[in-house]
Amino acid sequence: MRNSWLIAMRELKERIGARSFIVMSILGPLIILGVIYMLFALGGEGKQHWNVLITDPANIMDNKILVTQDKSVNYSFANDYIEMEDFRDSKQFQQFDAMIEINEKVLANKTAFVFFREKPSVRMQTNLQFHIERRLEEVMVGRFTNLSVREFRKIKQPLNVAFRNAYDPFDKSADLRAWVGFFYGALIFVFIFLFGMTILRSVTREKSNRIVEVMLASVHPNQLMLGKIMGIGIAAFIQFTIWALIVGAGLFFMRETLFPDMLDASNLVQMTQEMKDQTAMDQFLGGIEYNQFVDLVYERIQFGTMTTYFLLFFIVGYLFYGAFFAAIGATSGSESDGQQFVLPIIFLLCFALYAGYYSLQNPESTMATVFHYLPFTSPVVVMVKLAQGYEPGQVYQLYLSLIVLILSAIFILLIAGRLYKNGILQFGHRIKIGLLLRWLKKS
Amino acid sequence: MLEIQHISKSFYRKVALDDVSIHVQKGEILGLLGPNGAGKTTLIRIINRIIEPDKGHIRMNGDLMTQQHLSQIGYLPEERGLYRTMTVEDHALFLGQLRGLSKRDVKTQLEYWLEKFEITDWRKKRIEELSKGMAQKAQFICTVLHEPKLLILDEPLSGFDPVNVELIKQELIEMRAKGKTIILSTHNMKSVEEICDRAVLIHQSKKIMEGRISEIQEERKTGEYAIKFRGSMIAFVNALWTSFELIDKEILGDDKFIARVKMRGDNTFEDLLRTLLGQIKIEAAWEVLPSMQDVFIDLVQVKKEVSNA
Repeated sequence: MRNSWLIAMRELKERIGARSFIVMSILGPLIILGVIYMLFALGGEGKQHWNVLITDPANIMDNKILVTQDKSVNYSFANDYIEMEDFRDSKQFQQFDAMIEINEKVLANKTAFVFFREKPSVRMQTNLQFHIERRLEEVMVGRFTNLSVREFRKIKQPLNVAFRNAYDPFDKSADLRAWVGFFYGALIFVFIFLFGMTILRSVTREKSNRIVEVMLASVHPNQLMLGKIMGIGIAAFIQFTIWALIVGAGLFFMRETLFPDMLDASNLVQMTQEMKDQTAMDQFLGGIEYNQFVDLVYERIQFGTMTTYFLLFFIVGYLFYGAFFAAIGATSGSESDGQQFVLPIIFLLCFALYAGYYSLQNPESTMATVFHYLPFTSPVVVMVKLAQGYEPGQVYQLYLSLIVLILSAIFILLIAGRLYKNGILQFGHRIKIGLLLRWLKKS
Repeated sequence: MLEIQHISKSFYRKVALDDVSIHVQKGEILGLLGPNGAGKTTLIRIINRIIEPDKGHIRMNGDLMTQQHLSQIGYLPEERGLYRTMTVEDHALFLGQLRGLSKRDVKTQLEYWLEKFEITDWRKKRIEELSKGMAQKAQFICTVLHEPKLLILDEPLSGFDPVNVELIKQELIEMRAKGKTIILSTHNMKSVEEICDRAVLIHQSKKIMEGRISEIQEERKTGEYAIKFRGSMIAFVNALWTSFELIDKEILGDDKFIARVKMRGDNTFEDLLRTLLGQIKIEAAWEVLPSMQDVFIDLVQVKKEVSNA
């Protein structure tokens, strides 16, 4: 083990000293942050300041909206009926971006219409809805209860009404969290591919410059292979940690500076006088809707659980696939030969990604279950399933899949070890199935 | 020191070694000779436990060789390989630690060798910054760093300039004097004659010769003598008459020659000298022994002819 560790440390030193490692450690997370920024920004794009006309012929709202600090919307009131066509075409209404129609039945039918000239962003829609809702709530509390608004808001419990498709009751196909799981799984495979190729290159280079002969005079081939996989794996782990730290810090920075109002309901709280009476949940619900992606990133992903299993499946998945890369490198007669034989592995990796996507779309299908346990595909499929959430009593499936993957990795490492041992000192040949089988049979 | 007993190895249908047994004595330099593809590298790899023999076994100091014995061996393969981006010191640390040395011991040893070869400024140089010969020297240091009892060197002199060839040769002789055992695989027959005590010749997977260098040459001498003289070549040839045969001559100057002569009949070296005295001025005379190059070529060609027949 000491020798494997020495080899691993040498590999690690070489990897983290390489310029490509440093560049990728910084560039990778910056690209991810850039994509996240784009998605955030898209959620809040559109006209920043709105002039809104509220038509309230019954004067239900008493010409009040109680917004004190939100400068993004300026409300005007009209206690007349204004037809949509008038609003649209009349010169005097052109200064308004939208018209909210509060008809006299609004307290009964709870419906208000918003006519706009240019579609408001999701964020603006949320703002408008929030302002009107709050004001009407006050009116209703005053008319229909003996409670003060403050008392009402104390006892008011938010109710999350979940709409379900009868044909897809769990609505998993549309579940954004599943996509997060897929993203995690895809990340595993990106790392496996990048660092698997590093294993391959490292093995073929040692083979071609013949240093492997010096190494084998000191260590057993299996120790050499294990050390190499370990060292490169640790480098991958370090790179992932750097990614996680940079992306984490970037998200924190975005939340604090670039998008301070996102999800931070305290900014919305100031919109009404009684906001300080709101419960935390109320505040949360106040802001939850306007950007699903923000909501997803900051609130709905269970980073702790996901990252724990991500690491477990990443490590075992990497060992599983890493053994393939090492075996290909060792058995190939030349560097180009090795690269050719990587194609089947790339195909397997792509197939695994497809399996993840398939499981996301068809979570209850038999194939999704098969992919869940198949070691080639399980790292990504388990991540999808984990993000969707295991049904109570089915968590054993997660452990079972992990055990299958661990056993498969051990098996593949043994097989790869044999190929590595018998192929590492062979040069200039062409890989043939018969040859590989002969090497496999040889002890 | 090392008993190689009945080693056979085949790669599928190709026999690489066929029942090869060699006894390597402690404190000797053994020349491992043979044409390309004879099986020398396979044998060396088997000794280093890089590959396993199909038959036979190897004993080191009486014990069956195991992985543990590898720390007593220093191996310099023919195909040199170093990590190009690593420094000389990092290489030494890595390979030295793999051979069981502590970090501190590696540094002490490295210091000793760098000073000995007067290359202390190489310590922090990356391998890619070194010339081929320099890299080879660095690799030699890495091979001997852990003070192995047995050194296996495959073509250790190739790639070196004459000064460094001499340096390495002297180093090997010094190591032998310290009781180290060295197996030297080389095609450089001159160096075999100069530094090897014994030689083994492997050809077509079999050992076809083993013995002390001087004995091998003695066994294969053809009764030739060389005479270095001043005078007339005609007078020299006339003096030989029918009792001796002129094989070859080398002209050193206008009246200076080296002639190679073979006896006829029962004539002896003394008879030759008596015949020549008074005819020419003899400066030196000696018995011509076959060079290892001649022995090598003879044995390999004879074997080839036999196998062709």
